[in-house]
Amino acid sequence: MPPKNNNKDAGEDDQKMQAIVLADSFQTRFMPLTSVKPRCLLPLANVPLIEYTLEFLAQANVINEVYIMCCSHSDQIQEYIDNSKWTNVSSPFKKIQTIASKESRSVGDAMRDVDSRGLITGDFILVSGDVVTNLDISKVLEDHKVYKQSDRDYICTMVLTQASPMHRSRSIIEPACFIMDKATNRCLYYQDLPPINGKKSSVNIDPEVLEDIQEFEINNNLIDCHVDICTATVPTIFQENFDYQTLRSDFVKGVLSSDLLKKHIYSYITKDQYSARVESWQTYDGISQDVLERWCYPIVPERNLLLDQTYTYGSQHIYKENNVILSQSCKLQSGVVIGKDSFIGDSTEIQNSVIGRSCKIGSNVVIENSYIWDGAVIEDNCIIKHSIVANDALIRKDVILSPGSVIGFGVVIDNSVIVGNNMKIIKTPINEFTSSANISSDDSFDDDNSFKDNENSLVCDPDVVGINGVGFLYEENQYETAETSSGIVYEMEKLHLSDSSIASSSITVHHSNKKKRRTHSSASGFISEDETENFEEEAIATVERAMENNHDLDTAMLELNTLRMSMNVTYHEVREASCLAMIKRVNHFINTATLGTKDAAEKIFRKWGKMFQRQVFDDDDQIDLLLIIQTICHKLDENYKALLFGCIAVVLYDIDILDDENIIAWWNSKEAQEMPEIREKVNKWIEVLQEESSDEEESSDDEN
Amino acid sequence: MSSHASHSVSNSASVNVSSVTDAASILAANKLEVLIERFISQLKRRQVTGSYNVAIATCKFLMRVTSISRWNTAQEFITLLRLIGKKITDAQPREFSIGNIVRRVLALVRDEVNVKIPSTVATSNESNTIAPVNTSMFQLLVTTGKEKENNNNNNTSTTTSTSTHSSKSDLRSIIIQGIRDLMDEVQSVHENIELMTVDLIHDNEILLTPTPGSSTVLNFLLKASLKRKFTVLITENYPNDIEVCHGFAKKLANANIESVIIPDSTVFAVMSRVGKVLIGARSVFANGGCVTAAGVATVCECAKEHRTPVFAVAGLYKFSPGYPFDRNSLIEFGNSGKVLPYDDCDLVGKCEVTNPLYDYVVPEHIDIYITNIGGFSPNFIYRIVLDNYNTEDVDLS
Repeated sequence: MPPKNNNKDAGEDDQKMQAIVLADSFQTRFMPLTSVKPRCLLPLANVPLIEYTLEFLAQANVINEVYIMCCSHSDQIQEYIDNSKWTNVSSPFKKIQTIASKESRSVGDAMRDVDSRGLITGDFILVSGDVVTNLDISKVLEDHKVYKQSDRDYICTMVLTQASPMHRSRSIIEPACFIMDKATNRCLYYQDLPPINGKKSSVNIDPEVLEDIQEFEINNNLIDCHVDICTATVPTIFQENFDYQTLRSDFVKGVLSSDLLKKHIYSYITKDQYSARVESWQTYDGISQDVLERWCYPIVPERNLLLDQTYTYGSQHIYKENNVILSQSCKLQSGVVIGKDSFIGDSTEIQNSVIGRSCKIGSNVVIENSYIWDGAVIEDNCIIKHSIVANDALIRKDVILSPGSVIGFGVVIDNSVIVGNNMKIIKTPINEFTSSANISSDDSFDDDNSFKDNENSLVCDPDVVGINGVGFLYEENQYETAETSSGIVYEMEKLHLSDSSIASSSITVHHSNKKKRRTHSSASGFISEDETENFEEEAIATVERAMENNHDLDTAMLELNTLRMSMNVTYHEVREASCLAMIKRVNHFINTATLGTKDAAEKIFRKWGKMFQRQVFDDDDQIDLLLIIQTICHKLDENYKALLFGCIAVVLYDIDILDDENIIAWWNSKEAQEMPEIREKVNKWIEVLQEESSDEEESSDDEN
Repeated sequence: MSSHASHSVSNSASVNVSSVTDAASILAANKLEVLIERFISQLKRRQVTGSYNVAIATCKFLMRVTSISRWNTAQEFITLLRLIGKKITDAQPREFSIGNIVRRVLALVRDEVNVKIPSTVATSNESNTIAPVNTSMFQLLVTTGKEKENNNNNNTSTTTSTSTHSSKSDLRSIIIQGIRDLMDEVQSVHENIELMTVDLIHDNEILLTPTPGSSTVLNFLLKASLKRKFTVLITENYPNDIEVCHGFAKKLANANIESVIIPDSTVFAVMSRVGKVLIGARSVFANGGCVTAAGVATVCECAKEHRTPVFAVAGLYKFSPGYPFDRNSLIEFGNSGKVLPYDDCDLVGKCEVTNPLYDYVVPEHIDIYITNIGGFSPNFIYRIVLDNYNTEDVDLS
């Protein structure tokens, strides 16, 4: 008898690994849909997300045991896995087990649970349950073996993919910066990069970290798909550091910056392979499109990941299952997936969309960049753009779904309703939501409870879903609004604009994490709660103290810088605080009539304006400084505010803080023009400057 | 006993085995189930790729199926094979060698069983030296009343259990032997094709090959280099096979063949100097057309313009009894990332990118097929197909 190809013989057993799938995201980004179904069972191109992860693990052919850590909706995941092909005898995994870890509120908790259950016996792959990738793990495993042999302190390898910063499948919610040793691919430092108030944020690198390193790279163009190859020490580290919550910003950063652990984390960067995580509406949209457009080949719809799927490929990236009924006049443009038993009516146009199984789409419907899940019914003349319609929802005639709207499971939208931008509608209101304290993991709502609520309150929101509709507007709490504000809509400019709001939200989330961490351990209690506010107060106090006591300029600058470092704020805030302090002082002089406006400004800024030398570095900073001063002056007394501003600007120009080009640039900027009364006094001066600079140019031209 | 066992056969194809009481048959059915599922997922995950590897893997798989599966009559086995064949061809729908091998085995079984017209089988067998059928066995099968079974699909066989038993085990071993021969044939494809090199390639000739991915072409050229001196132009096959092309050129260079890599776009320009175009086929259809690497259709078009002969090399296992009615269903579309770098965010999502991996070449553009059983005009392919496959099995579903 010839031996079978994939015979799992004893010889291969020592290479077999374990895998831990983190099925819970510990986030609320997919609310309200995740109140009914866990994120990893949401369909992407009509396949539940977790299938992509498991397929990735199966492809590797080295995984023996798979443990799926689930927290919210663990019963649903359990049921799904039990009925899936993975539990068949033919499954590539010898063992697949779902572990309900109900108490877990973060990745860290789940890892501690893994450790206390003693599941891990050797090296394992840690992967989140929402990864879509065609990565060939064998190369990573080879590297892993080499690292393990050569480096005693090696604990894990992170798999990262390169992509340009504004890429659609890149996480804009969790931007991060990796600093790598170029020669060995060892990760030296990690920091997540929330841009503060839309301004640039900085990465502070301890010079010690870079000692003995020949060449290093700073990367922030990486898609972090949360695929890690770990040694058995990783869960132990989580256990020992019981304040670690997240995988990256706590664990990786903690391990790398800890003097005690002295462990090494390596990275594996792929360029030509696809990998991404479905972690927000944007990435859901982006990755769906990527899968349809075959960037993730061979993970494409006609791969038929589920046993009963029968997708075939047609030109223009159109995928159809058997028994799809298309009317003759309907138009399928590029990138469409249609599931079994679905019906598309006359003159309907569909592009870049996914239609689930047993859907009914009426006539004259327009569907663009939208995701219609199984069993949804859309009646005639609807227009659906950039939206998600979940299972069994009913959209009656002439409805318009504006970009970003999410129609929950079983919702009914009545005739001629217009659903606004980013509106999320659910069938049953989630009452516990507001009272729920755990913001970082409230995917976990018991279905039973919300269904009971349903029976009690049958009154619906007629403003949102129409008179005969069924559904409520889902009110996002403040943490989320910003994060999901750009919704599913994937448009670059919009994303760019909403960057700031996303950033601020990630800060707030961060705060809440920190607060929680403090309840966990008093050790980290020194972290102040509202850093930014405190900084402003402290900084103003510092500058004021310096001016009053006539301190040395260097001392004041050093103090301020220390404050900036310890609070981890941007230079923008430092500038703001110092301007505020100085102008306050000037204001004080003027109000007490000790000095005239001009003299006061002259006195303070001539001396203390030099502080900006250490706060203003490039052209943008100069413009920013002018804007800050302008804004502060704007709030002052009508009588002298314009004059004061003029004086300050001239002084700062004299002491070489500001260059004439930048002053002109500020003059022409949009923000500056919003406060005209301030500008009148400087008008003349600007004209002079403009002439000067043009003269200069001419003369330099002449020289040439 | 006989009816009981037949029950288990019909079940072994489906998942449900609960009604079968015989523990051994449950075990066998389960084993078969696992075997099939494993092979399907292996194919789906592309853990076996390339027509040659897939053909060999399919042979091995069918050999195991033959030995494990439980069936009473040949007809049952045919039904089972067709069912399995349908399943595994769907797993990699554009890898035709899976279906070809299944059909070859089916033809084998049918030939064994078909005692009604043994003379025709024998004659067709003579013309086809590749899948030899052990003629001595016919006598044995004739006596067991297979004729009746063959006529009766419902397997209400009236033959005595003893004779069925002996014939069954014989048939099983004959089939296994047949598959083994088939595997030998697939494995020796290169050797047989190589025999023709001397007649086809002349000294100081310039050859062009647009399919560096084909190992048949590689072996053909390597063998030819022993007797002849010639130059080979290789298209670079951007973007899918560019590394393969470099490896191909290296191997030729190591064998002291003068090899030149040319961009795909210059094919027309160089065609006037080319003496022969040599292509490897992924799959050959009954009409004489073939599916091969993307870009080859253009090359063949250029060759036709310059009246340059086009030779296609292919093993017999690549001959498919189907007709290429729907071109879309023949051509696999690959990773878009090879055409446009994925990190180009200005373009990704804003333009449609397609990356077809295969091309269909029409029969008019091919002058001769060089196979392990000789050279044939595209017009004659239907005849070879007819010799090797049974018309009943063209459609497996």
